[in-house]
Amino acid sequence: MVDGLGAPATTRPGNAEELAAALKEAAAAGQAVIPVGGGRALGMGNPPERFDLALETVGLDRLVEYSPADLTVTVEAGMRLEALQSELARAGQFLPLDPFGGPGHSVGGLLACGWSGPLRLRYGTARDYLVGLRVALPDGRLARSGGRVVKNVSGYDLNKLHLGALGSLGVIVEASFKVYPKPLSEVTVSFSGGFEDAWAEAERALGLAMAPVALELLQLGGRPKLVGRIAGSEEGTRRIRRELGWEDADGDFWTDHARRGADRWARVSVRRGALAGLLRQLPEPARWVAHPGVGVAHWFDFDDPEQFLAIRRAAEAEGGSVVLLAAPPDFKRAVGAWGRPPAEVDLMRRLRDAFDPGRTLSPGRYLV
Amino acid sequence: MTINRGAIEQLRKAVGADHVVSDPHDLVIFERDASITGSLPDAIVYPFGAEEVAAVVKIARAHGLPVVPRGAGTGLSGGAVTRRGGIALSLARMHRILEIDQAGRTAMVEPGVVNADLSVEAARQGLFYAPDPSSQKACTIGGNAAENSGGPHCLYYGVTTNHIVGMEVVLADGTIHWMGGDDPDRPGLDLLGMLVGSEGTMCVITRILVRLLPIPEAVRTLMAAFPTIETASHAVSSVIGHGIVPAALEMMDDVTVGAVEAHYHAGYPTEAGAVLLVEVDGLTESAEELMVEIRRILEANEAFACRLAAGEAERQLLWAGRKGAIGALGRIKPNYYLHDGVVPRTRLPEVLHSVGEIGHHYRLPVANVFHAGDGNLHPNILFDLREAGVMEKVEKAGEEMLRACIDAGGTLSGEHGIGLEKNAFMPWIFSPDDLDQMHRVKDLLDPKGMLNPGKIFPDPEQQDARLVARSGVAAEARWW
Repeated sequence: MVDGLGAPATTRPGNAEELAAALKEAAAAGQAVIPVGGGRALGMGNPPERFDLALETVGLDRLVEYSPADLTVTVEAGMRLEALQSELARAGQFLPLDPFGGPGHSVGGLLACGWSGPLRLRYGTARDYLVGLRVALPDGRLARSGGRVVKNVSGYDLNKLHLGALGSLGVIVEASFKVYPKPLSEVTVSFSGGFEDAWAEAERALGLAMAPVALELLQLGGRPKLVGRIAGSEEGTRRIRRELGWEDADGDFWTDHARRGADRWARVSVRRGALAGLLRQLPEPARWVAHPGVGVAHWFDFDDPEQFLAIRRAAEAEGGSVVLLAAPPDFKRAVGAWGRPPAEVDLMRRLRDAFDPGRTLSPGRYLV
Repeated sequence: MTINRGAIEQLRKAVGADHVVSDPHDLVIFERDASITGSLPDAIVYPFGAEEVAAVVKIARAHGLPVVPRGAGTGLSGGAVTRRGGIALSLARMHRILEIDQAGRTAMVEPGVVNADLSVEAARQGLFYAPDPSSQKACTIGGNAAENSGGPHCLYYGVTTNHIVGMEVVLADGTIHWMGGDDPDRPGLDLLGMLVGSEGTMCVITRILVRLLPIPEAVRTLMAAFPTIETASHAVSSVIGHGIVPAALEMMDDVTVGAVEAHYHAGYPTEAGAVLLVEVDGLTESAEELMVEIRRILEANEAFACRLAAGEAERQLLWAGRKGAIGALGRIKPNYYLHDGVVPRTRLPEVLHSVGEIGHHYRLPVANVFHAGDGNLHPNILFDLREAGVMEKVEKAGEEMLRACIDAGGTLSGEHGIGLEKNAFMPWIFSPDDLDQMHRVKDLLDPKGMLNPGKIFPDPEQQDARLVARSGVAAEARWW
């Protein structure tokens, strides 16, 4: 189901070539295709204009190549993030992709939706560690960009074009990543206080000689709470924990944290310096989780379209955005999933047309 | 391509008569970049600001002239070479650091700002710009953005694209656009990410917003010698295998070490088969702790003569040898051809072995100096252009070395770009469908192919653009 629309038909190809063939066939027949990975982020986007075929990637779940000593891994798009992480964990490594709304995200779906999580403070987003993509295009071609090595400037970096495009230019069938060794040592600490105290503590933590790898400010009823993840060498971790002076907390927090999501939630993104001001404006009793070091917050359970639009306007006035991650179709129609179109929307539209001239892929959902 | 007087007049009007050069004697200055290719422009234009760039692009468009943006001309893949003549568009006059935002940790710069100058300026505010190509004392941020340049510290910090937050660009239709920005997760297609590294074939970059990082509290630099390049490569893999990713992990082979030592007296042991430079940074405690561990791992892998830089002066000396290595190689032969391939790190020993054999086969000395941590090889083929027929051997050897990288699962370029140097080899790693995807984007943004024509994609019109094919001894002699 996407926005209340059930798929008239579903196909589950077993490999990339079958997927490309199915996509080509649907495109030739003028059908509207919605690619479905783990189904965890299907709430994104506007309600589709049409929906004829759900193209599921669950059958593409193989680990293609993993070379721990090279810190690289290649997987098919339907592989679940948890499955990938447990493979990597066996070699003491991980992919620093820790989105909300889990478990059950597919790797391809995550890339298409452009989600990330708390660890982006230290590691950046998939944009920073995705090194190669293979994509099925509506004309049935399978095209690669990038490669499988950690450093590569051969040809245009079209990985970036598909990342976060909600599968509207093509369907991701395979991805290669740079992976990271697990930190030598790691602790989780927390601090509770009023909003202003907590924000000041967050700024102090971010200004330390070694900033936390993740820092979350939570307002989920009661007093705001800050949770920090300090990682590095043993001596270094010990020193930062001492300098922060917060309470020790359970590392399991992060597993639970990654399960957050809601029937109504949105991602608020502004330049870092403008985030606190925006959080102060959220209508009470607001429920949210913020990355103060990044300029992103996830806002849960809003219900009034006017209040929502007021916040979006405030974010846009700062050059930022408020994007719906899920909401009932009526709410989506009232406010729109994406907000003010970016200045280059015309160019984006022409790019989309160059890849998907028949508007086969998720028509109406993405902003172009 | 020849340029008519009308076009010259319009260009003069657009940017000022002093900023258009069309005398054939002067055009020679921009015939080349730092690669082994060359081709004369019809005019050199020095615009100031995005509006002037846009005006130049529109004039060029009206007259069907190619436009080739140019930073400092230090590129190694022919990216700034005016392959089909036309306008060499120098961004050299646009060299201001417009703003450094200490709290937001960004800098807004013009494309002609020299890479090292930005870090010097940012250091006043406790910040630095991470990508550090070896040419950083000359190369520009605009050129770095166009080529998605790397450098030794990209092992930990990432390459240029990871540090560019926004760009103002002029497209082939002469329109000016701002791409990206300092708010995260911008809705819409990531045009910025697509344009970084597009080698001047899709836009001219006129302003860049870059990310700056806080200067780490401590830096520790270790030099270690190894009996062979193979033992050094295994040591590198072992460090990474222990879960340690240093800030930089650089290797030099015996040929390089000999030349560098004679030139810089950096203290590299000349009896070594390979020398590694390892740098870690961060908290004082962490840097110390990690360096002890790294040294233990290296010594377990046959490292000898390990030396920890005692202070900043000694550290700078160790790095001077590495960053100046290419120049020092001039002691061996007057000319070099510096290659840039990438392989999975674990394949380094076998690929370096193949590189050595290829050099031996063609009787060309090869010096390796490279980013061992990310498997980014830089074989330097050393030669003397005055030897008849040498270019043919050099090119052949270079091509075989690249082939060895590809056969080991690697790629054509890690940081220098494809340009004119490797466009013919693109089908080695990309299928027609892969290239078609790239062409869709190029054709949309530059349907007439006027921006930096003949680059990146295999070029049916390409004959031998190399110097050897040009007009004879006088031209060649000018080179060195």
